[in-house]
Amino acid sequence: MAAPADTSRPRLAAGCRWGPESKTGAGEERVILFPEGAIKLQGTGRQVLERCDGQRTFGEIIAELQKQFGAADPAKIRGDISQFLEQLQRKRIVDY
Amino acid sequence: MVPNPLALIAEVTHRCPLHCVYCSNPLELAGTKAELSTEEWTSVLQQCGKLGMLHAHFTGGEPLARPDLAELISAARAAGLYTNLITSGIGLNEQRLQTLVDAGLDHIQISFQDSREAAANWIAGAKAHAHKIELSRAIRKHKIAFTVNLVVHRQNLDHLEEMIAFIEQLNPERVEIAHTQYYSWALANRAALLPTRAQLEKAVMIVADAEQRLAGRMRIDSVVPDYYAKYPKACMGGWGRRLMLINPAGKVLPCHAAEVLPGMSFENVREKTLDWIWQESSSFRKFRGEDWMPEPCRSCDRRGEDFGGCRCQAYLLAGSDMVTDPACSLAPSHGIVEAAVREANADTAVAQPTLASSFVQLQKQTTDLWSYRTNPE
Repeated sequence: MAAPADTSRPRLAAGCRWGPESKTGAGEERVILFPEGAIKLQGTGRQVLERCDGQRTFGEIIAELQKQFGAADPAKIRGDISQFLEQLQRKRIVDY
Repeated sequence: MVPNPLALIAEVTHRCPLHCVYCSNPLELAGTKAELSTEEWTSVLQQCGKLGMLHAHFTGGEPLARPDLAELISAARAAGLYTNLITSGIGLNEQRLQTLVDAGLDHIQISFQDSREAAANWIAGAKAHAHKIELSRAIRKHKIAFTVNLVVHRQNLDHLEEMIAFIEQLNPERVEIAHTQYYSWALANRAALLPTRAQLEKAVMIVADAEQRLAGRMRIDSVVPDYYAKYPKACMGGWGRRLMLINPAGKVLPCHAAEVLPGMSFENVREKTLDWIWQESSSFRKFRGEDWMPEPCRSCDRRGEDFGGCRCQAYLLAGSDMVTDPACSLAPSHGIVEAAVREANADTAVAQPTLASSFVQLQKQTTDLWSYRTNPE
């Protein structure tokens, strides 16, 4: 168990998926469904997970979001996202 | 306005090829002829989607006993629900698994009775263990979530480490280490199933070690059994707060055991809409919120966490569904649970698995130990 490496390609784990839009309406919020529950996501959390498509590397995801949040401390962005994904990996919602 | 229910537990049949001695189905099983049709379940699932539910858990009995299971899964997906199949795996081969996955199955949960074949078949009253192992390999060829459900109790807790190692080999994303809960068949067989305190304490340490070792690879969900806990469980997340259970005959219940409660009548999806049943029915309203609560719950800081515990357990053990769950250390009737725990700790004996050539013979040879779950007409 470790933080994602820059070269890893984070993705939703088997059997975890975005819920249909009918469940969330047209608002900013989206929901991820997994075996025993669901999490609602908006803002940064949503932007991170939408990039966990198994194509982008962790390094690329970080770079994209650092660019987007130009004013914020890049090291803090990296640390927060890394921790977020590690927590979701523990729950078996994300693989990397 | 009552918040939406989150999930449906669909008991699509009470027929089952297994006879597990701790089965959570009621002692009075719903008969085959009374089962809802494909069309009736489809209408129920559409209503669930409109009610804002997120998950449909298909269970039984053995849901695979329904030939229309793939249709039901696809109806659930069409209604926007996440689909979970809770199964023994008996009745599933690679081809049918493919059909269910194609229909939109998101998650499969297979129950294991033990890591040791003879012991597993003894608990289940059926030769099911080898097939479950074979099936687990087939499951991993698909991109669906896989959970192993391991029911633990007095007869298998002594080799919990071995069971966890066995499950690791099956490579699921998660394992539920489910302590037996004492309702219906398990309550009737409680003396043979309730663990000793020493077994439990050792199990807690083994689970904590495994959680750390397997973090990020296999998630472990495990809860201390309520007979040994200080406070009761928030049964079903609270009465009428999160879940609706529909039995094979269409009766809508707030939990698996609710039919035992005296003087209550439960609505049927053949007669009423799910929305009405959730919002308006007297059965779903009866223990919702705090108005019904007795002391010490009524003035307890934990009343919003455990909701007074389980109504069925209060009735089954203390004789009234209006009292605090006897599993709570603050309950006036807690002595009932303490007495059961004392008895379980009076000796530490466990039985040896009985081998028999047929289920009837197995039943005969174990009458002193427990009764196996039977099958509906």
